[in-house]
Amino acid sequence: MPRTTPSRSLRPGRPASVHDNLVLEPRDVHFDWSQLPLHWIPDEPMATHTINVLHLLLPEGERWFVKVFKEALPLIRDEQLREEVLGFIGQEAIHAEAHQEVLDHLLAQGLDPRPYVRQISWLFRRVLGDRPALTARKRRENIIERVAFIAAIEHFTAFLGNWALNSPGLDRAKADPTMVDLLRWHGAEEVEHRSVAYDLMRHLDPGYLRRIRGMVISGPLLIHLWVRGARYMLAADPSLNGSLVPTWGEYHKAAKRGLLPEPARFVRSALRYFGPGYHPTNEGSSSQALAYLAKSPAARAAAAH
Amino acid sequence: MDLETPPPDLYGRPRADRMFARLTAFGDWYPEVLGRPGLRRSPRRAESRPVPPLHLVVTSHQVIAEDVVELRLADPSGGVLPEWQPGARVVLTLPSGLERHYSLCGDPADRHVYRVAVRRIADGGGGSVEIHDELHVGMRLQVRRPRNGFAFCGEPQVLFLAGGIGVTPLLPMARAAQHARIDWKLIHVGRTAAALPFTEELKALDPNRVEIRTDDVHGVPDAAELLSHAACNAAVYVCGPAPMLGAVQRALDASPAASLHFERFGAAPIVDGRPFAIRLGEDGGTVTVPADRSALDVARDARPDLAYSCKQGFCGTCVLKVASGTPEHRDRRLTEEQRAAGLMLPCVSRAAEGETLVLEV
Repeated sequence: MPRTTPSRSLRPGRPASVHDNLVLEPRDVHFDWSQLPLHWIPDEPMATHTINVLHLLLPEGERWFVKVFKEALPLIRDEQLREEVLGFIGQEAIHAEAHQEVLDHLLAQGLDPRPYVRQISWLFRRVLGDRPALTARKRRENIIERVAFIAAIEHFTAFLGNWALNSPGLDRAKADPTMVDLLRWHGAEEVEHRSVAYDLMRHLDPGYLRRIRGMVISGPLLIHLWVRGARYMLAADPSLNGSLVPTWGEYHKAAKRGLLPEPARFVRSALRYFGPGYHPTNEGSSSQALAYLAKSPAARAAAAH
Repeated sequence: MDLETPPPDLYGRPRADRMFARLTAFGDWYPEVLGRPGLRRSPRRAESRPVPPLHLVVTSHQVIAEDVVELRLADPSGGVLPEWQPGARVVLTLPSGLERHYSLCGDPADRHVYRVAVRRIADGGGGSVEIHDELHVGMRLQVRRPRNGFAFCGEPQVLFLAGGIGVTPLLPMARAAQHARIDWKLIHVGRTAAALPFTEELKALDPNRVEIRTDDVHGVPDAAELLSHAACNAAVYVCGPAPMLGAVQRALDASPAASLHFERFGAAPIVDGRPFAIRLGEDGGTVTVPADRSALDVARDARPDLAYSCKQGFCGTCVLKVASGTPEHRDRRLTEEQRAAGLMLPCVSRAAEGETLVLEV
């Protein structure tokens, strides 16, 4: 498949930000959550719970990615893309389980995420689930359409992954190192495989309308679910008694301290997706991601088995 | 999960959640309108075509060290080859039909030649022996385009550890490191100096950064000692036989190095395998899973669209339901409940000799 990747030679003092034709394989990881405090960014419940929404959305969301991509496998006509998709599926499956463990830990600490997760399950299994009753032609379109949703969501996960890899604010605030490793390990794999969903969508339908629909539908929904999730978590936190209501002002202050991504950057990044020459390789650095994966404590703990 | 009753309100208020009621209505309507003009793949557009493999000609075949042959491959009409980066490998399809992966060890800036080096493994699967004895200049091979499972990230301090023929992916990395003015060091270990390829080429980059250690002169290398040559917080790139990689992985935590890069090769060889049989679906044919193949690989012969990923029993992608028969679980992913519900991971799990597993696909 033709890929519109920029020049990528290794220049003096500058590592390649793009690696072509990476072989994608899932990495096993091992996290120990037994020491994780409820507010894992000390004294920052709002930033903690805003990031915690990830653990509510991702297990169901990434299992849905796996399901949709499995349905898309028979439509793929290129061997290399197919292998990349299989690697992507395995990585997403591991991500889902890693975040599920945190979810279980939250419940054990008295914060019950289940009402919110119940809604997210409904979204991914019922609203966006497979519909075997459709005609073969519509079913095929429905698969491609959902791949386009995933391509748009993967734009955001690469953005967030890139943010996590470049977030010294979390270290300054003495955030829990295991959680920071989870965010950066996951973020690094998102940056590593950032092109796969987009390339798959372009392989199945190179049309501009398809790409735009994916973003127009899933972008606002994702932001809405995130805000809703952060509100819910702060309300459900037993240590806060509902005393903390999130506001955009508070969000901006936390972003200024480097604890959350800045909204303006987020919006600018989303707008880039509409550019005619857009390709995910321009978001984030593969070298930085792979360098982190080579040192991630959780990946090293499992690799030494 | 119940897919009929919409989820209740988030805060326990006695009404259905309004946002989710709207989302559900959207989800029921939207797939029905897909396929209309503007909401479908344009029928005027041709289907995407697969990228074909390369067909290259052997332009050079020479012995460069004891039991090591260097192959150079080029486009028969002298055309430019696809770009690659240090760490990339190609798959050669040999005249016998065998497929073998080799790291590219030439210069990525030379766009007309791919170079690989192959060590003869007399008791291996026969691929290396075929390359040594039967390939010659002028023969044509089918070559899959370069892919990279061992990317070089250009960290400020780098230690390369090469075991024997494992130097092949590291040589282009060392060249890139030298070009990028990175602080690098390469240690090449092997049995004897005569068995180590590319010593001259490495030393030509910078003789002070390359160290050759041979068992006959320096004794068998020790992983902790090798890693002690790493600068503080250096990145280590290792490529060599599996026991060397394992030893370096175990010694890493106690070393000054901060990270370890290595090439992953997916499935490990099957240990203690016994032949058994699988049937895909109640009315499918029964096929034997030999002792040295996985149930997944055998099932994929019949159903190439079966999904899989890690092939090591940890990601769970290839999960299938066992309709009858008793599997022997070898994965580290499924819970006891999932196993009790009849799930199994055919990439690693097997069955007792003579058993037939009926798998739902």
